[in-house]
Amino acid sequence: MKAYTITRDNLGAWLDALARDYTLIAPVREEESVSLFKPVSGFAEINLGYTNSTVSPKGWLFPQTEEMFFFSTGGDQITLADAQTPGPAVLFGLRPCDIKGILALDPVFNGAYQDCYYQKRRQDTILVGLSCTRVERDCFCTSMGGGPTDGGGADLLLTEIDGGYGIEVLTPRGEKLVNRYQQYFDADRENRVIPAREELGKKLAGHFTRNVDTTGLKEFLDQHFELPYWGELARRCLGCGICTYICPTCHCFDIFDQSPDGESGVRSRCWDSCMFSHFTRMAGGHNPRPTQKERVRNRFLHKLKYHRDRYNLDGCVGCGRCVTRCPVNIDIRQIIADLQEVARHE
Amino acid sequence: MSELMKIQENLRETARKLLANGEASLVIGYALGSEVSRVVPAFISREDEVDRLVWNPLCINNLAKYLLDYRHEPGKVAVVVKGCDSRAIIRLLQDNQITREKVIILGIPCPGLINPDLVAARLDPGAQITVAAVSKQDFSLQTGEGTFTFTRDEALLKKCRDCEQHTPVIADFMLGEEIPPNDPGDPFVAVKTLEELPVEERSAYWDKQFSRCLRCYACRNVCPACTCRECVFDQAEPCWVAKANNLPENTAFHLIRAFHVAGRCVDCGECERVCPVNIPLSLLNRKILKDMKDLFNVPTPGTSLEELPPLGAFTKSDPDEFM
Repeated sequence: MKAYTITRDNLGAWLDALARDYTLIAPVREEESVSLFKPVSGFAEINLGYTNSTVSPKGWLFPQTEEMFFFSTGGDQITLADAQTPGPAVLFGLRPCDIKGILALDPVFNGAYQDCYYQKRRQDTILVGLSCTRVERDCFCTSMGGGPTDGGGADLLLTEIDGGYGIEVLTPRGEKLVNRYQQYFDADRENRVIPAREELGKKLAGHFTRNVDTTGLKEFLDQHFELPYWGELARRCLGCGICTYICPTCHCFDIFDQSPDGESGVRSRCWDSCMFSHFTRMAGGHNPRPTQKERVRNRFLHKLKYHRDRYNLDGCVGCGRCVTRCPVNIDIRQIIADLQEVARHE
Repeated sequence: MSELMKIQENLRETARKLLANGEASLVIGYALGSEVSRVVPAFISREDEVDRLVWNPLCINNLAKYLLDYRHEPGKVAVVVKGCDSRAIIRLLQDNQITREKVIILGIPCPGLINPDLVAARLDPGAQITVAAVSKQDFSLQTGEGTFTFTRDEALLKKCRDCEQHTPVIADFMLGEEIPPNDPGDPFVAVKTLEELPVEERSAYWDKQFSRCLRCYACRNVCPACTCRECVFDQAEPCWVAKANNLPENTAFHLIRAFHVAGRCVDCGECERVCPVNIPLSLLNRKILKDMKDLFNVPTPGTSLEELPPLGAFTKSDPDEFM
């Protein structure tokens, strides 16, 4: 695959150009220790020094609230109108774990069942990855089959190198984007981009403070649905939605209508969370996951088993967000270690 | 032995006795978490588990709300509370959420807690704190790798900066030496600064905060004043606040919540601490707290069992200019 280099000045100019020609979504420093992916109007708003955005960038492809269609009734007619879709976009500066997060969402929304909303956004969005330069204390992507410089799944991958950034072209779509803005790029004549990235990857691999081993875990969970461990773990769970909302792979949603006059309105969907008690509550009042134990178990089985059952992919990419933000220290790395311990004693 | 370690010993012994003689069926306290900088709520029901209980400057969570999960248990539940958390116990008692006879309050005079991020930045995550001490100047944490000192000015947890009561206001067992309340200064400085801004700027300030709200409801779920069996925000019919995440709905969520806990918020600071996107919720609640003090001349809710919430009690001297 081809590689290019770009100077810092040119990177700024390129991003300004991208913001003009596309909807550009990039990491923004919102507050102290809060960074979010947001639409930006140019390079000046972007914070490329971020390590892990507070909320994953999945929200561009699967928005927290998304209008699906408008409806109106008159006489015995119902008229439907499509909601607006955003059009061509560039999702810029994705960390490798978040790219893997998107790859984990693809078979859910874009596999056997084609979700037209996700599909449209996915098709219209160019993914530009950015190799990590630091490992945060809760990062564990290498334990989940990823790595801080593994940009697979993106269209382009940027890596900070001496004097600017190296750019690797990973897909024909990425190639097209580079060609369109070729004035900003230089050919990687000395072939230094790929070795520099590999070198960085090796260096960062030694910076992970905690590694986990999921070997055999799915097979154990296949056989053990009921474990007292879940009940113990769930006692301290607050039942809030932090973990599911900041997670790059959680994808549950609810559909609802808003109609001020009861005759016309909009149907939307919005993120929902399996941690909420009413998530599985049925119309008649029955709740098949009646306590937090069932809910906590569901979330971790989804990450460690169900996603693998369905798509042969891990449901966790090791970004560490839930570890950082859980107010009661429900730490998936610890859960994996604990379950391995439980498995050893079975 | 540092005062903290004496308290930890005392806590373990008290818990052991309570469980041994059957006085309590469960002790809710703190245990070490997945990393050196983290301590977790722990639920101890066996004598041989009491040595898991710890007391150190990372014991941040307000454990009072967990009492709701056990209110229908036949036995008594013991719970560890700091000064701030103890106001939450009074909150739950006054709201008839828990029964006094069924709760054993293990009070710990707390000299202030440490910001766990600073601990994480300096200590090896796999290390274990063996000894902890707090002085007027600093925090000191001892692990297998040595002793780490943090100056109090730099490391004191945000919610502790305006601490009103180090010593619990209610307890069955006081596990350490009482710490007299210090003068934290004016807790409403930030509120007043915001109040002085023109309305457009104040509105813009809160718009910026609320627009990034995820509606994860962590603030509500952790709140000891939020005890409704069915929360207004979970109701589908009637739908008071839509599930849609946008500025108007998010604003409605936060303002309704602030008004629902008005006069009942004990200012424990947990809502702000748990917010994943750092919305300054204490500022919002303190604005109401300040108004309550101005209007009714009352202490912070939960300070005394006899002092009923001003909006939940009637007196002839209530201001009635709206009548």
